[in-house]
Amino acid sequence: MRIASFLQRLIAAPEFGPFVLLFGEIVVFTALSPAFLSAGNISNMLAFTPELGMITLGMTLLMTAGEFDLSVGSVFGFAPIVMWTLYNAHIAPLEVGFLVAMVIAAFIGFANGWFVTKLKIPSFLVTLGMLLVVRGTALYVTNGFPQRTWTATSPLTGIIVGEFRIGELRIYASLLWFILFAVILGYVLTESKAGNWIQAAGGNPEAARARGVRVTHTKMALFILTAVISAYAGITSSIRVSAANPNSGTQYELEVIAMVVIGGTALGGGRGTIIGTVIGVLILRMMRNGIVLIGVPGLAYNIFIGAIILGMMALHSWLERRHHAGT
Amino acid sequence: MKDELVRMEHINKFFGRVQALNDVTFSVHQSEIVGLLGDNGAGKSTLIKILSGALRADSGEIYMHGKKVDIRNTTDAIGQRIETIYQDSALVTQLSIARNLFLGREPLKGARFLDRLDQNAMNEVARQLLKRVGIKKDIPPWTPISALSGGERQSVAIARAMHFESELIILDEPTNNLGVEETQGVLRFVRNARDSGHSCIFIAHNIYHVFQVVDRIIVLRRGKKVADDIDPKRTTIEEVERIITGMALQGDK
Repeated sequence: MRIASFLQRLIAAPEFGPFVLLFGEIVVFTALSPAFLSAGNISNMLAFTPELGMITLGMTLLMTAGEFDLSVGSVFGFAPIVMWTLYNAHIAPLEVGFLVAMVIAAFIGFANGWFVTKLKIPSFLVTLGMLLVVRGTALYVTNGFPQRTWTATSPLTGIIVGEFRIGELRIYASLLWFILFAVILGYVLTESKAGNWIQAAGGNPEAARARGVRVTHTKMALFILTAVISAYAGITSSIRVSAANPNSGTQYELEVIAMVVIGGTALGGGRGTIIGTVIGVLILRMMRNGIVLIGVPGLAYNIFIGAIILGMMALHSWLERRHHAGT
Repeated sequence: MKDELVRMEHINKFFGRVQALNDVTFSVHQSEIVGLLGDNGAGKSTLIKILSGALRADSGEIYMHGKKVDIRNTTDAIGQRIETIYQDSALVTQLSIARNLFLGREPLKGARFLDRLDQNAMNEVARQLLKRVGIKKDIPPWTPISALSGGERQSVAIARAMHFESELIILDEPTNNLGVEETQGVLRFVRNARDSGHSCIFIAHNIYHVFQVVDRIIVLRRGKKVADDIDPKRTTIEEVERIITGMALQGDK
């Protein structure tokens, strides 16, 4: 009886569907290609995943609060441009460049939040505009050329994305940062008062406001968080691949939103899960890696991603309806 | 007569050129249940929205315990311990019962910077409150509001008003869309509220419900107060209906 109700709650959890999909994916890919679980391949997957993953963490909280941000990919590309341009032009040491990039990102997030909460413009339009402004700025200041990054000798690069080995696995420090951010933001969302406010702001902003919840502040803070964490992810990426390309991060916004909703966070707000998002990130990254390994043409990748999104959305809506049956 | 709790004086409210409230003055005493009646468009909801901070009056004053207060928004009203329960209760349906009860006033535990919800305390209090408002079913406090029936949702809103010891609880059409048993639960709550020292303003279309619980009836018609000391024990429902519709007979101007 107890076990049965425990199982019922487990299956009703929004993370359950994604988890089953992830598990199935691992089984299928491992069966079809022994190289899938090799140390080399896992190292490859773990190199880029944290960078995209960090953005999804911020986006999860923002979407739970009922907003989203299309400018994350542009900020991902722009922040390293700021940092490396300041450094390469001998205007500032790397650490200062890093701080300046983060402050500018915070300002971009603030601007997004201001347009959305004060002028009451839907976040879709505001952040679409910001996507173009930020990307355009990145292209303009660089004339479209990548910035050098390999001349830097700063402990900062080691802290952000230093490389080390565990047995045959090559791990970047960015993975540890991603895990740390996930734990902190997971705690914030489910255990803290701020998390309660985030969910209420997305679920029923009027009711929340009537109870004294500072909805505007909450959303503003999340826009800033999302922009800052995207900037940090972009800087991480630029150091790892030794190039700050003004075009990097293009179209990440859609992949990030796809990962978040696959994980079980509601597109309309009110309900979000960091665990689900981490699973969603792994599902899509493994899919990209796995279908190439088993010999499906890489160009077919989007077919699978689209199918997964549609399938998971159908599952979530079915669970939702079943959960509410009889009310 | 007990002390006066709230008094609204000379309240006027216009919507464009339409005068929704015309110099309305009324008061509610401590531990008093007042029924506010009127036909559609009589100004009941407007009056109540001004008191609960959802609307601002164009002119007029509000006094609590004889002191003038400024109610600019719903937070101010809650700060004055005025709690409003609308027909579509202002709950966040995705959140659990316990999280809704404490929304905006969450108990914390541990170091302040951890901002950590005291979820055990929230669940414990929620469980007791649900019992007090008469939900007999054993509903765990972490159930999301979306899984509750209309009456259960109403009860959660009522539980919230009780827990935060509001002095004045405004019930705006609380029995709409409720089943028979759920309606009885709400009426029982109103009677209990008086016994535990709360005051209520009860608005309902259903005069029978109002008659069952209130001490005094106030009637609005076309934005004006036309009666405010109708005793439901000494008046018939037909007489009140005549006052509401304005088919004046004895005693009405």
